[in-house]
Amino acid sequence: MANWTITSKKMLSEVMSAETWLPTEMPEYAQGFMYMLGSLTASSFVVLVVSGILLAMNGPDTWSYNGAMRFVAATHFWAVQAFFFFMMLHLWRVFFTGAWRGGRGATWLLGAIAFLIAIPTAFTGFLINGDLYSQWNAVQAKDGLNALGMGWVNLTNAGQMFGMHVVVLPLVLTAVIALHITRVRTKSVVPPYPTAPKEGEARQ
Amino acid sequence: MKVQNDVVKNYRMVPEDFVKHLFSTLVIVAVVVLAASALFGVPEKQPITIKSYSTAHPVAFEQMALRALDGQGQIASYGPPYNHGTASVQSPLQSMVGVLHPINAATDFILKPLSMAAAINPAIKPDLTQFEQASPAQQAGWENRYTAALAKGVYRNGVVVTPKGQYGPLPTLMNATLALGKSGLMSGALMRNGAVTTRFDNQNYLLFLQGAPLQNAPQTQSLQGPNWGIIHPAVNGYPAAWWMTIPTWIYQWPFVANSAAPDAMALTLGFVFWLALALAPWIPGLNRLPRYLGIHRLIWKNFYKNQPVDTPPAKLEKGGTQNAS
Repeated sequence: MANWTITSKKMLSEVMSAETWLPTEMPEYAQGFMYMLGSLTASSFVVLVVSGILLAMNGPDTWSYNGAMRFVAATHFWAVQAFFFFMMLHLWRVFFTGAWRGGRGATWLLGAIAFLIAIPTAFTGFLINGDLYSQWNAVQAKDGLNALGMGWVNLTNAGQMFGMHVVVLPLVLTAVIALHITRVRTKSVVPPYPTAPKEGEARQ
Repeated sequence: MKVQNDVVKNYRMVPEDFVKHLFSTLVIVAVVVLAASALFGVPEKQPITIKSYSTAHPVAFEQMALRALDGQGQIASYGPPYNHGTASVQSPLQSMVGVLHPINAATDFILKPLSMAAAINPAIKPDLTQFEQASPAQQAGWENRYTAALAKGVYRNGVVVTPKGQYGPLPTLMNATLALGKSGLMSGALMRNGAVTTRFDNQNYLLFLQGAPLQNAPQTQSLQGPNWGIIHPAVNGYPAAWWMTIPTWIYQWPFVANSAAPDAMALTLGFVFWLALALAPWIPGLNRLPRYLGIHRLIWKNFYKNQPVDTPPAKLEKGGTQNAS
């Protein structure tokens, strides 16, 4: 049986290496806007976390009577739009490039899990906002969860939703995103399909 | 699986400033988000409150309150996780979970708030006592007759007036509920938990209004399930949860929309879609699809263009070991 310590040491020395996280060169094919989409998604997440911390520090309904907090709530709202927008573009890019090839299946799977968890993370945020959209979706969506036997998740309980949105789901999402990005850094982005270009294309 | 290891090996590494790349994307997002916030603010649609609804629709409010009292309301007859009703039970799983957040609509939504109101307005007390001490058959008789009467009810001088009939204490009690609703105090009466002083749980407030008040409000019509619900914003012109398009689309499928368990079915089918996406690398056919779609040729246009025409076919081997973002 392999030595767990040696295996962990080897793994950690790669994951915690500056070479992994601060590369000074990239493959020639990983250039341009298409290769900014993952970073744009992660950057949106950073903006979400920063604006979310400001909201959490001040209380979930301060936006409704305080101008400065209203602005912070607006940044949180637009950051989640940016997050899903760039994530969706990133998803299309990695799908169309078959990014799971070459032993990158786990990278893909972690990304898909991050997408799945991001949905209730955003949804619980809408629920604690307290406006009509919040009110409507809490009472509408509860039927689906109740039907699936998940009635303990009480969408009409703002306290539970606050905990879910501010602690539980973001922690899980952060962990999955961190694993996803670690895989991307250690396994690199997928090289192109080995399709030789057609004559005409090559000379364009 | 061979197709998954189908990557070129003969590529060059080019200089990169990764930290600058990360800062650039952060600045781009921050600028876009701050600009959008400054220009468009945050969408906010006034919620439907008990006070606003009872003031605007006094007759409909009393009808709703009466449905909560007589057990005909959506929550009164819902079933698990709120009570032992059956009207909204969609699956055996729902029943197995049991009553987790108990609600007795008649008591919690109407009689308890009225008993608190009676402490302020003792005139309610005799009618409340009369109702609570009446037999279920007597209560049902009053409720049925008053339900019919409310259909002809009109709002006059602060109370709902109906044609005369044998309604027992109900006209007084329903008008007292209306007065409580209009005062703005009913939310406090609904969000009660005598064991703690915090009010995190607004379940009863939301569920009290979840039927007619929300369903019939003009401002919720674009949010209804058949109108693709959640992906629409409450304030026109703003984006909403458009990433829920696929589950919302599933809700539109006739066999889902018309089934006895539309919510459970739509969520389950939505999860199946996600599974197909998550497991794409291992699903034969789907894992080869991108190669045949050919969009990668556009994405890697420069790479393919710069490859020498006489490049020998790339070797098939496990993917690159170089770092990249």
